[in-house]
Amino acid sequence: MTADSLLLVLVFFPLAGSLLALGAGYQPRLCRWVSLILSLMQMALISLLFFLDLQPHSGPTGTWLLAVDYPWLEGIGARFSLGLDGLSLLLLWLTAFLTVISVLISWTAINLKVGLFHFFLLFLEGCLMGLFMATDLLLFYLFWEIQLIPMFFLLGIWGHARRIYAAVKFVLFTFGGSLFMLIALLVLYVLHGHQTGEYTFSLYQLSQTPLSPTVEGWLYAAFLLAFAVKIPLVPLHTWLPDAHTEAPTAGSVDLAGLLLKTGFYAFFRFAFPLFPGAAQASIPLLLALGLVGMFYAAWIALAQTDIKRLVAYSSIGHMGLMVLALGIWNLMALSGSLLQLFNHGISTSALFVMVGMLDERLGSRNFQDMGGLWQQMPVFSAFFLFFALSSMGLPGLNNFVGEILILLGAFQIRPLIAVLAFVGVLLTVIYILRMVQDSLFGESRRVQPLRDVTPREVLILAVMALPVLYIGLHPGPVLRLFESSLQVMWGQFPMLARSLGG
Amino acid sequence: MVVPVSYYLALSVALFALGVIGVLIRRNVLVILMCIEMMLNAVNLAFIGFADYFKAVDGQMFVFFVMTVAAAEVAVGLALIVAIFRNRATVYVDEFNILKW
Amino acid sequence: MTLNIPSFNLASIGPWITLSIFAIAILLADALSPKGNRTAAPLLALAGLAVAGFQTISLWGKNGLDFARMVYVDNFSLFFYMVFILGTALTVLISLQYLKDYGKNLAEYYALLLFATVGMMLMAAGAHLIMIFLGLEVMSIAVYVLAGLFREDARSNEAALKYLVLGAFASAFLLFGMAMLYGAAGGTLFLNDLPGRLTAGFKPLTLLAIALLVVGFGFKVASVPFHMWTPDVYEGAPTSVTAFMAVGVKTAAFAAFARVFFLAFPTLMPDWTMVLWVLAVATMTLGNVVAIAQTNIKRMLAYSSIAHAGYLLVALVAANQLGAVSLMYYLLAYTLMNLGAFGVVILVGRKKDSYLSIYDYAGLGAQHPALAAAMALFMFALAGIPPTAGFVGKFYIFSAAVKAGYIWLAIIGVMNSVVSVYYYLRITVLMYMKPAEADLGPINFAPAVTATLLLTAAGVVLIGVFPGFLYNLALNSVKIFPGL
Repeated sequence: MTADSLLLVLVFFPLAGSLLALGAGYQPRLCRWVSLILSLMQMALISLLFFLDLQPHSGPTGTWLLAVDYPWLEGIGARFSLGLDGLSLLLLWLTAFLTVISVLISWTAINLKVGLFHFFLLFLEGCLMGLFMATDLLLFYLFWEIQLIPMFFLLGIWGHARRIYAAVKFVLFTFGGSLFMLIALLVLYVLHGHQTGEYTFSLYQLSQTPLSPTVEGWLYAAFLLAFAVKIPLVPLHTWLPDAHTEAPTAGSVDLAGLLLKTGFYAFFRFAFPLFPGAAQASIPLLLALGLVGMFYAAWIALAQTDIKRLVAYSSIGHMGLMVLALGIWNLMALSGSLLQLFNHGISTSALFVMVGMLDERLGSRNFQDMGGLWQQMPVFSAFFLFFALSSMGLPGLNNFVGEILILLGAFQIRPLIAVLAFVGVLLTVIYILRMVQDSLFGESRRVQPLRDVTPREVLILAVMALPVLYIGLHPGPVLRLFESSLQVMWGQFPMLARSLGG
Repeated sequence: MVVPVSYYLALSVALFALGVIGVLIRRNVLVILMCIEMMLNAVNLAFIGFADYFKAVDGQMFVFFVMTVAAAEVAVGLALIVAIFRNRATVYVDEFNILKW
Repeated sequence: MTLNIPSFNLASIGPWITLSIFAIAILLADALSPKGNRTAAPLLALAGLAVAGFQTISLWGKNGLDFARMVYVDNFSLFFYMVFILGTALTVLISLQYLKDYGKNLAEYYALLLFATVGMMLMAAGAHLIMIFLGLEVMSIAVYVLAGLFREDARSNEAALKYLVLGAFASAFLLFGMAMLYGAAGGTLFLNDLPGRLTAGFKPLTLLAIALLVVGFGFKVASVPFHMWTPDVYEGAPTSVTAFMAVGVKTAAFAAFARVFFLAFPTLMPDWTMVLWVLAVATMTLGNVVAIAQTNIKRMLAYSSIAHAGYLLVALVAANQLGAVSLMYYLLAYTLMNLGAFGVVILVGRKKDSYLSIYDYAGLGAQHPALAAAMALFMFALAGIPPTAGFVGKFYIFSAAVKAGYIWLAIIGVMNSVVSVYYYLRITVLMYMKPAEADLGPINFAPAVTATLLLTAAGVVLIGVFPGFLYNLALNSVKIFPGL
């Protein structure tokens, strides 16, 4: 067994584990422990990869740190091929990490159909593992679609009052968008097949298909649509606030921390290498969508009275900044945005976790019912302030590093955009501060006292605070991981480096 | 006198069209079944006409198959009409309205 | 005068003979056995299907004609034999308890199922249009009777009569089309001879014939605008017969449809693909849109079956090798997922179909988790969500369309899939996310139905994850179409 086949383990271990959790479902306590242990094992396995000192090497599916490639759908030319690079590695780690967190925060909150819940959590983890490593487009599409099913059930069974509306909206939006990607995929596949006589879904081979600018534009647009729904980009974002508001806390964590990342990841991994010309042509569009997303999210967030909805809109704003960085496309901005991808996964998930805790205690997520929390729950409030500051980009914490890299990268080539983006970041500061102000400080409007965080909750929050501090104070190793991935990618897809002036 | 094939065809088409119209506008299910019989006989006529024109025998043989099948179909159809008449005491299709038509 | 009897090999129609003999044996055994003892009939039917299955397997790989060029013995027909045998066997399994509850566990039911299966095989293997017509009628007449099985039930009567009237009407169109084709081809109806005989001089007559054939087949596959009978008949017929119709009749009609059009009219492809393009779009769209409004589960599945006829027409329009392969794959996948779904409908419907509203599924996830999980799986499969067979089938069909250059058709198909997700998902939503309106009470898990659900669920996942084997079988089978 070589290190390469470890990738198969990464995908199939959680999938098999999900069945184990389902089987243990008759006894909730056992099921929780089983899921926790399984997700911790998965996390340990991925952490191990950081210490293996992997070097990129090229194979039939391109240049990767680790890669596997097996025949799958014979006759069609789709293969079961996975590849790992620095970006996927970090996202895999994030997936495993947030799955552990999801299991922990659901420890007491989920009491209905416990086996099924953990089954879906681990199943989702397995799908995301496959999604972040797939190098065959059909395989990627498969994982991309399957992940809808667990998320649909997580939202629809364990969500709040309007959960069914939110779940159905979520599925219809994403399914609808991604089917256009499927068509584009098929067209690309057929064009490649006609030209070379070899029918394949391999990313590496399809990226070498010569396309006329019109065709390339249409195909890119279809991919853009699918990914823009998932990221989500304004104006395709309307499912997200609903989904977040209705989701159970673990669902929100997975949604914000992981599912939104898949859209951005896919954009970066597939849409750009496959259609470099169209991607370059779309730069003004990406910049515009990014800026619109930031300003729109800030504007709407300021008007929110539901704290969870506010955090959901802050998510849209953060994703807007990352998409803007895609439009900048230089090493600095891209490293920054990939880092933001990771940071946002931690910080926003942490905010959702804390909103969930608050909801459990208050029975409300409305600002009117808050205020003065600092006096009653000092530990909780300290953590809340910490993650809120991280989310708005305080120097020394994780988001600052990513945002400053993006802004500096933007200044190098597009100063005007950089200034606008800076304004957008400032707006984020305003609404996050308002959130902190309205919830933690001011007069308390309740009579009954609130219980401060339990030891289990402190553990969760402390664990989530560690990466925030680590990246904020010592981002070097992570950034080097991204930079090497980007170099490999540019080496592999020379079109990309050339057309985008890299 | 030799009757040209076009005459056979014209008569066959006319019969078929009458059958179609009958199925579509009549209400009595027995009449509808008879109209279907008429359509099948129009087919038979066309087969015979063509068989005569091409001096091929197989066209005439098909007619026997069609007749046999038509007989079987009508047998089942009449049995169903009897069953439905026992339950509902009607043979008019617009009164068969438990299911949306 | 000497009489030449062409040589023939009985083995090449072995499955037909076996099924006919078993069907007659069932009738005889019923007539000779004491009253009330009817356990033998379903067992005999299953035994007959098993023997026919073995005969089919032993014929696999043969390629040729028999019985004076009237019958094809090739992998294309044998593949469909297997689908029919599978479909009928599963229908027998889901029928047993259902019919007992109605006091209608009659031997002739099983005999008619076998006869209908013989008719389907004739359709798939017919090398002459009259053979295909005979097969169609053998199948249809048996199914008319089956649909009217519940003699005392006015709904069943009505469904059967509607099916018969409209079916006979459609057959007349089909036959008229054949007569015109006979004239246009100068006196032959052999599929192999037709392409060479259809000369340009008779093009209008040929086109008329093709149009009439499309009407005839369109009725049987339930394509818009010839679909009006489908919801009524599906709703009124006994549920097990509905399952059989949705699966067997449609598959057989598509087998004959594909064989006739791919083999006999390759030169006229631009003409008929254009017509089928329109039919495919109309069928998919109407089926999916109207299905959303249904509250009776059988009616919903009827519209879903119309929509699926539309997807399958897309495979015909593509008219390339992948199109034919995808047609075969999808029909098998459809057989499995639809029979599974009807199996659940039978179980949830309980005694005498008392619970057929979709709202009766509310809370099923909490009270009968395994049953709900199976239904959810079939719904996801019908919607075409991976990793099920439904996804792979749709994927093959749409790639065939794209490969043939019909990108818009594929896009419309994909948009239809989104619409269909809505109503399939609704069943899942009801089962898992809505509380039960009342206690659902116990469900009688008859062993045969449970076995069917397990088999179909395993099949739907298995051929969805590993479609390679089936793909190769189908690819092997479509080599008979030189024009593709």
